[in-house]
Amino acid sequence: MTTKLTINRRTLIKSAAASSLILPATGLFRPAIAQSNRERVIFTTNQEPVQFNPLLYANGGTDTIVEALVFDALWDVDDQGNFIPNLAAELPTRENGGISQDGRTWRVNLKRDVKWSDGQPFTAKDVEFTYQTIVNPKVAVRSRSGFELIDTFKVVDDYTVEMTLTRPYVPFYWAWQSMHIVPHHLLSGEADINTSGFNTEPIGTGAYTLKSRTAGSHMVYEANAGYHRGAPKIRQFIHKFVPDQLVAYGQMRTGEIDVFGLMGIPYDRWDEAKALPNRNFVLAPQPYVQFIYFNTEKPQFTDPKVRKALYIACEMQKSIDDINFGTTPRTLSYLHTSHWAYNNALKEETANPQLAEKMLDEAGWRRGADGIREKDGVKMKFTMSTTAGAPPRQASQQLFQQNWKQIGVEMEIKNMPGSVVWGEYTTKSQFDTLLVAWEPPVGMDPDYASRCHSKAIGNGANYTQYKNPEVDRLLDEGVTQTDVEQRKETYGKVQQILLDEVPFAPQFSVVQGNMSTSALNGFKANQYVTDACWNVHEWAWA
Amino acid sequence: MRSDLLGYVVRRILHSIPLVFGVSVIGFGIMHLAPGGPLSVYTLNGSITAADIERLRVSLGLDQPLHVQYFGWVKSMLEGSWGYTLFGGRPVLDVILERLPATILLMGTSTALAVLIGTLLGVLGAVRRYSIFDYLATTGAMLALSFPTFWFGLMAIYIFAIELRWLPSGGMYDFGEEGNVLNLLQHLILPLLVLTLVLVASWSRYARSSFLEVIQQDYVRTARSKGLSGSRVLWRHAFPNAVIPLIALLGVQLPTLFSGALVAETIFSWPGMGRLFVDALSMKEYSVLMGTVMFTALLVILGNLIADIAIALIDPRVKLS
Repeated sequence: MTTKLTINRRTLIKSAAASSLILPATGLFRPAIAQSNRERVIFTTNQEPVQFNPLLYANGGTDTIVEALVFDALWDVDDQGNFIPNLAAELPTRENGGISQDGRTWRVNLKRDVKWSDGQPFTAKDVEFTYQTIVNPKVAVRSRSGFELIDTFKVVDDYTVEMTLTRPYVPFYWAWQSMHIVPHHLLSGEADINTSGFNTEPIGTGAYTLKSRTAGSHMVYEANAGYHRGAPKIRQFIHKFVPDQLVAYGQMRTGEIDVFGLMGIPYDRWDEAKALPNRNFVLAPQPYVQFIYFNTEKPQFTDPKVRKALYIACEMQKSIDDINFGTTPRTLSYLHTSHWAYNNALKEETANPQLAEKMLDEAGWRRGADGIREKDGVKMKFTMSTTAGAPPRQASQQLFQQNWKQIGVEMEIKNMPGSVVWGEYTTKSQFDTLLVAWEPPVGMDPDYASRCHSKAIGNGANYTQYKNPEVDRLLDEGVTQTDVEQRKETYGKVQQILLDEVPFAPQFSVVQGNMSTSALNGFKANQYVTDACWNVHEWAWA
Repeated sequence: MRSDLLGYVVRRILHSIPLVFGVSVIGFGIMHLAPGGPLSVYTLNGSITAADIERLRVSLGLDQPLHVQYFGWVKSMLEGSWGYTLFGGRPVLDVILERLPATILLMGTSTALAVLIGTLLGVLGAVRRYSIFDYLATTGAMLALSFPTFWFGLMAIYIFAIELRWLPSGGMYDFGEEGNVLNLLQHLILPLLVLTLVLVASWSRYARSSFLEVIQQDYVRTARSKGLSGSRVLWRHAFPNAVIPLIALLGVQLPTLFSGALVAETIFSWPGMGRLFVDALSMKEYSVLMGTVMFTALLVILGNLIADIAIALIDPRVKLS
């Protein structure tokens, strides 16, 4: 059939044009936000939290902001590395009888009169439920680090829990510091905690309660007046998402935001940022150290002497000075040099290409006709991978590539999207070398067993597949020692062996330049946590 | 005619069912066959071990055979949740719908403006071919198309938001101003400027060539030789014929109104679909990616259907069958 024009053509065109201009602005309205800029603080990150259940988020980062604001742990760690009781009435120790003499039984007394923000009382049942959720195979809890050592968990009374561990484990403090307590009364009835509504409408015992969320824009939190550590001094906390780092920095300059945390000011802007009036530049050491990871099962890297030679050929300090503008401190271990357990006797040996050449010669890797070293038919050629699209990391890779070329070693940069390189390529040790930044595995405890104990190959996080019986022994010993000086000595030895045998070569410890409005007090860096809002209940306007 | 139109629409919808099914199979297959996966997000956590990764693979159902995962996803689509996000456990449809208004507002306004301005520029360029105006418009369009959006965006923010401080640098509202239309308009100006500039550039080129073709037709010459005024020939005779290909083009572009602008939304912190897609892609959030793929596929089908109907209504030569 042929359509006849029942509508005038011009009318149709006109009405089509007009209707495209009538745009839906409904559904964009959200509850009111405090008008006075002294009743609110605006905190910015580039990503937005997606999982508000503190047991379920995938990776420490933006989601820890919800955790820090809305939830509490049994104890926190302050910026000096001390544990501070939070929901626990006191920190269990051997001295106060909280930890048994054999180190296996931990009794925790809980604070009384703590309430969930819906008014229900907080009790030992909540701690028990949190533990049960962490070990529940159906729930996608990111880590059970430390919790798998719990043999029995007992609720003694409403305000006391007792846990017996299968073996003494001093870093157990960190297990409970990094897992926040969730409410039994709201979650125990859920058929599937993974998809529970609680995960977007959380109820906690924390300093703030989540009031509203505008997807892609911001989240508004209101102070919890009944907070057990005292009501926060700032009524509203606004978490604003600004995806572009430079734009966020611009907003910090113009005063549109009060705190610029978590993503850091670009290194090349630090001098400018430090000079800005009415702004505090906050140097924030992060728990991460950037390493070159060697896959010690690959034929090129089985000999510790070769790994050491490759390491000392690298211009580590130059990489820091030229690429990061000298901002990130050099470290020779998996810990920051300011960490209490850092071994100050470690010696800087980079960059020494002559010695590196000599060591490779001694190890039997001779230059072939093409100038590349080889031994038993294996060429000293390999790849190095990291997340694609990270210019500073790529610049480091290019520098190492040049350093190694001079000593007859060929490295090919093979960067891939994060979802590829950190998948099985890493966890099943398919890589040759990686350039990666990682924080220690058990909070900021010096225990590094999951990264370098031979038992952690395959199912742990010993992705370099490094084996050393002495390191195993020291690591086993370290987690049973309660004396700080003893532990310092044990982990000092571990650090020395790792520097001698180089399964992973430390490049630098990560620091960030954060920023806050000068009138805001309390915004402090804490190198022992990955979370910029760790002490949010203490923030106050001058 | 109305019942015929209804019949036509129903037939087209029925025809598109296998298409949608095919898109879902291919989309799902490619996404899961591509190397890497969502679990890598966990690996970056210091405390995660290889054993944790395997446990999470089971908890999140990623260990299931691909066809089992696919039918699970189809079931959730039919049930209306469109699946659940891996990171957050929320219904995907909710996640998409909460982003949609912002994207429709930004993309709808910029496309409408671009169509109006671009068509006008195109008509003038075609009528005054090889005039100074035409050369300027052509050069301007080439320049606008050559510079990347992020550069335009950052420059606009630097000049108008940071140096001059005339306009906000991003977001939809100032805090405390939610729902204030004037405040919304202020926030809309910069992203609109950047997006419209690029869209006008391409749209003016389409319009120019479409009009050039039409005004060289015999019937336009006949109309002129009858002694009709220039503007009457242009707007009454040439215009309706020249806009037909443009309407088809608009139909094809409909999905972009909803899928959002990837770069502009990121630069201007605009809470739309584009950013949702970018975030989901970087985390390999399968369910959200599938949701956006299906959403776009449905819009492509819908856009083409609307364009075909509109053309049939405007152009008496076209049959709906």
